[in-house]
Amino acid sequence: MRKRSSRQFLENIAVVALLFANISAAQVTTARIEDASREPGNWLTYSGTYDGHRYSGLKQITTKDVSQLAAQWVFQTPVTGKFEATPLIDDGVMYFTVANSNAYAIDAQRGKTIWHYERALPEKLRLCCGAVNRGFAMLGDRVFMTTLDAHVIALDSKTGSVIWDTKAADYEKGYTFTVAPLVVKDKVIVGVSGGEYGIQGFIDAYDTKTGALAWRFHTIPGPGEPGHGSWEGDSWTRGGAPAWVTGTYDPELNLLYWPTGNPAPSNNGSQRHGDNLYSNSILALDPDNGKLKWYFQFTPFDLHDWDATESPILIDSTIDGQKRKLLLQANRNGFFYVLDRTNGKFVLGKPYAKQTWAKGLDANGRPVLLPGVDPTLEGVPVCPGAYGATNFMAPSYSPLTGLFYVTSREQCDVFSADSQNYRLGRAYIGSNYVPVMNAKDRGFLTAIDPKTGDARWRFEYFGASWAGTLSTAGGLVFSGDIGGNLIAFDAQSGKALWHFPTGAAVYAAPVSYEVAGKQYVAIGAGNAVFSFALP
Amino acid sequence: MKSEKLRRLVALPFMMCCATFLLAQQVREVKNLLEGNAQAIANGKANFRANCSQCHGLDATGGLRAPSLVSGKFTHGASDADLFSTILHGVPSTLMPGNDLTDDETWEVIAFLRSMQPKSEAVIAGDAQAGEKYFWSAGGCASCHMVRGRGGRLGPDLSRVSASRSAAYITESLREPSKQLSDGLLEPGHDSPIAGDTVTITISSGEKIIGIAKNEDTFSIQLLDLQGELRLFSKSDVQSIVHERKSLMPRYTEAKLSNPALQDLLAYLETLRGE
Ligand code: HEC
Ligand code: HEC
Repeated sequence: MRKRSSRQFLENIAVVALLFANISAAQVTTARIEDASREPGNWLTYSGTYDGHRYSGLKQITTKDVSQLAAQWVFQTPVTGKFEATPLIDDGVMYFTVANSNAYAIDAQRGKTIWHYERALPEKLRLCCGAVNRGFAMLGDRVFMTTLDAHVIALDSKTGSVIWDTKAADYEKGYTFTVAPLVVKDKVIVGVSGGEYGIQGFIDAYDTKTGALAWRFHTIPGPGEPGHGSWEGDSWTRGGAPAWVTGTYDPELNLLYWPTGNPAPSNNGSQRHGDNLYSNSILALDPDNGKLKWYFQFTPFDLHDWDATESPILIDSTIDGQKRKLLLQANRNGFFYVLDRTNGKFVLGKPYAKQTWAKGLDANGRPVLLPGVDPTLEGVPVCPGAYGATNFMAPSYSPLTGLFYVTSREQCDVFSADSQNYRLGRAYIGSNYVPVMNAKDRGFLTAIDPKTGDARWRFEYFGASWAGTLSTAGGLVFSGDIGGNLIAFDAQSGKALWHFPTGAAVYAAPVSYEVAGKQYVAIGAGNAVFSFALP
Repeated sequence: MKSEKLRRLVALPFMMCCATFLLAQQVREVKNLLEGNAQAIANGKANFRANCSQCHGLDATGGLRAPSLVSGKFTHGASDADLFSTILHGVPSTLMPGNDLTDDETWEVIAFLRSMQPKSEAVIAGDAQAGEKYFWSAGGCASCHMVRGRGGRLGPDLSRVSASRSAAYITESLREPSKQLSDGLLEPGHDSPIAGDTVTITISSGEKIIGIAKNEDTFSIQLLDLQGELRLFSKSDVQSIVHERKSLMPRYTEAKLSNPALQDLLAYLETLRGE
């Protein structure tokens, strides 16, 4: 009896402890990520929520008091390089990656290091665009990141210890990772970079527990697979189509929406005639097995490096009196697209920035080309330039205003093409792009009404920005510029209400979180993270 | 570190041919084994186009952002080993970046550059002394440009102008200054649209201030005015800011600066390489 009751007592304690563990923030569960909008104090996944809205429900900071916003702390890292990561926040701890496959966990209220992960990287990495990384995914007591030498790793969220480290591909063959992973159920999903190195793109899912590969989707169909015929000869073997920006996910439809990048060589199509599937597309995949449900290709047979690697945003809306499940994307090619996300059908598309290459889109959303825009030996000016009308910088959507906010760029390049021998692991561009001389780069924060595709307002920056966006329940949008300002806008009118000079061009997206009853807005810029709150 | 690495990198192809161990001081004698190799030249051209042409031009003849590499003259050394080192490490405090090319890719780029015939325009026949005189007196150049610590502030410092600009580009700067405005903020990796542009600011009193923007962002502007004074503003405090998209530098047309006098001036500017 006695024995039994004491065991009962211990069991009760265990149950209580278990319960406690369940509600304690240490355990990030898929259920919590699915319902992330219900706990706006945390930021549990790359885009804040699976639908990619980057909308914070916090409303301590509003249009009325944002002018009082003041820096609470600055966290300096010794790692130089572009800061592109979106920090994650759970229970007062901020997790972020920086350049050179380094990462930190810090006290989100006080800006103090908890741990620092530093990776020993090989000397000659194959990087087109900087030693960058865009952040973590988390589940349980682990955080997951990708590395420049093409590994996917899981770290202990309390200590930064490596739990598993899986080599996904060979960096010497041009494969690398910059993407923030996405956790869906028990899998961590990543897409590869290397579109400038003639890789064969893929999207991978790894078991969050073991790091074992669960499935791989090849973004270029192999022989015998549908779509293979969209590549000339053996060009598919070096066709690029990377997948370097984090996708979004609809738990109800159980569909993962992952964008893909340019066909290689980007400027020279003379040996890859065809649509080059599935480059520059949105892929709707079953996250359980990686099977393709549908695809939509924005720029078939691309010759201007217009990756479709811009985060897709999922909204439910009424169009022509019908309730629709939609997917929104502001594409690098200068058009804003609305798709039906149940089947990939084109709903509408309109230019949202200066473009000189397409007459428009046909009924299926396929571009109708203008003549004389293909790169030549001497070069041809085309807008947008290779960096696109937007790029990896994250857009956001506010259910409050019903508007889609995107950093848009108006900059044109002279695109040239020339023959190039493919060599394994080497840059494979087929010539180059150079800004049009004496033309001024222009950049905007653009608010688009997804029902019409028309811009509601545009705020013009000085120069063309690379910053992502955050919208909030306080009626605000936060973004930044190349002058290094973090800026708060009125989400309704586009008026700039507050700004803070961080001292380095902003490439990251802001996030918002709450600790001890206080709302913070944080941004990475330069080698540092800055966090702001009301006094 | 730097020289140790260079020695290792350049020694390899040499050792393959001669099986001689190289001492560091012999590095300068190293020859590019890929010179004249058609395949290497083609690969080098592709890599040059992809990695270098945005500054040096598709045909390596230079332009707004970088010097010609086919003029036959090199500021940083003309030997294969010098080129290898410049391409690998870049030129500090200029736009010329270090590169991640593999060793063989670098040798291929050098083979491509060597395969280009020097452009005849590079041969400047003028009298440098006459050009120098013009620069410091009749031409009025020194009222706006500094050379080795002397001269005006409004235009770019020209002490190293021929290290970073081709003769063709300099000629265009004189004949048609507004065609390509110089990059204003020459900070490597600085993604800045600041140009050597004429900016007119109307301040709240209605007074107009003309000058060159040393920097600008969405909310502020830092101007160097015609008097050579720094004028710093928040945009919210001024009435208007107009970017003229033209140079403050007068056009030196043929009427003003004859072709022979231009050759003299170019011959002088040719000597300005920062030594
Ligand atoms: C971002 C612009 C930029 C890029 C890209 C660039 N360069 Fe340069 N390069 C420059 C500038 C500016 C200079 C002049 C440096 C100075 O002022 O001394 C220069 C100088 C050089 C020199 C020395 C010339 C001399 O007179 O000694 C060589 C050689 C050279 N570059 C080769 C290359 C090669 C090869 C590549 C591509 C792998 C390349 N550069 C890419 C801007 C660039
Ligand atoms: C009234 C002032 C003024 C005078 C006089 C003047 N310049 Fe300039 N110069 C400028 C300014 C401002 C720029 C930068 C804007 C541009 O690109 O034209 C410039 C640009 C240049 C450049 C291009 C520099 C670069 O790196 O891109 C050269 C070369 C040059 N000047 C040479 C001369 C010479 C030689 C003379 C005399 C014959 C001269 N300038 C007279 C103001 C002046």
